[in-house]
Amino acid sequence: MKLISSTEIEKRTFELLKKLNTHFNNDVFKISCGNITGEYNRYLCELFKENAEIAEKKGLPLCQDTGFVEFFVELGTSVVLEEPIDKTLNRAVSKTYSTLPFRTSMVNPPIGESANTKDNTPAFVHIEQRDGQDLVITAHVKGGGSENLSALWMLLPTTSVEEIIELVTKHIQARGGQSCPPLHVGVGIGGSADTAVLLAKKALTIKLGKRNDDPAIARLERTLVSRLNELKIGVQGFGEGPSVLDVHILTLPRHIAVLPIALAVDCFLCRVGRISL
Amino acid sequence: MREVTRILPPYSLESFKNLHAGEHVLLCGHVLVMRDQAQKKLFDMKEKGENLPIDLSNTVVFYAGPAKPIPTMPAGAIGPTTSKRMDKYLEFLYLQGVLATIGKGDRSEYVKELNKRYRRVYFVTPSGVAALLASCVVKSDILAFEELGPEAIRLIEVRDLPLFVWIDASGQVFRNAVNR
Repeated sequence: MKLISSTEIEKRTFELLKKLNTHFNNDVFKISCGNITGEYNRYLCELFKENAEIAEKKGLPLCQDTGFVEFFVELGTSVVLEEPIDKTLNRAVSKTYSTLPFRTSMVNPPIGESANTKDNTPAFVHIEQRDGQDLVITAHVKGGGSENLSALWMLLPTTSVEEIIELVTKHIQARGGQSCPPLHVGVGIGGSADTAVLLAKKALTIKLGKRNDDPAIARLERTLVSRLNELKIGVQGFGEGPSVLDVHILTLPRHIAVLPIALAVDCFLCRVGRISL
Repeated sequence: MREVTRILPPYSLESFKNLHAGEHVLLCGHVLVMRDQAQKKLFDMKEKGENLPIDLSNTVVFYAGPAKPIPTMPAGAIGPTTSKRMDKYLEFLYLQGVLATIGKGDRSEYVKELNKRYRRVYFVTPSGVAALLASCVVKSDILAFEELGPEAIRLIEVRDLPLFVWIDASGQVFRNAVNR
């Protein structure tokens, strides 16, 4: 058995959330600005660099939308905690967003007379058990503009792969410009309605450039990257540079009658990070 | 894009109507910051025949909700939110005298027609560069709806806020964006 203290989890999570909001992801810069294709692209990349420097120096967030926080927790069966993990993680979120110059964007009740919860809680926590004595916490700081591009389709089980490519491409063509491209696209295929959405979200926590272990899925990822880049949405929608940073797909077996396809989209900041305890 | 147009106050229809889609602009002067809930509130007040708490005539509206400020700066991180969500209030804003809006992303088809009819302009400003844009803000005050927190209406004063004309006053959309 391994006891992990709540204080330690809270401290490490606070540091992670601070970093995700204030440090520009270098992989993103390489993809967005590694091959400048026009004058708008060049100008925007200069702004990205300058912004990263100011954010770092002053402790300001890279984006005013410091998001809602989603956690994916891998909890080893030999790990002993002092309290339910979501309590600890929500305390870390509360501390981060109450003490740092971030924006608190969560309101409750969700309809009617909504009021700001003032500390950006609640965070959304997904827990999966694992063998062993590790606790791995993946945090995703997710902006509202990209979240609005999420989609779930319950397709006919006879739908072809080409039709799925068409569907995803049409969706990004119609809506991609309203988020902050180049986008990271997550696709969940199979499972049930709820698990497909979760797969799509988890796909956004996969490192840019990494390919699926299944060669057929890896091929589909590559096809989608090239099809979506052909849309020429470009960096910030200016038609120059890549439209997507990457596409990641996760799958689950499905019932013979159903074929759920879920789509999740992340803005170009890709504020995803991991801690192991 | 190589040429930059600087727009100085006071703003009038003349300040914006000759700009072309794709043009790079640096804006100086006062900008009203308001987004979803504040616009809904203003719209509902007008519908009920109530007086609005702020004067919108000859103003520029920035669709944004800033982060908290740090002590050494007048304003916190600030940047555009998705403009399309507020399309349904755009004509209302134009009728109240708003001359231009600033946000991010494409808008509904009918916005082209509205811009043409009222000779108004829609700008985009880069997203995800909110620390940089915060350094363009020299002053920030809450004007109304303080209870909305980040969504309260603010009046900010900006110096060289970088903008791009996305839909101009003749209804033309930035060329690179139309190709898709």
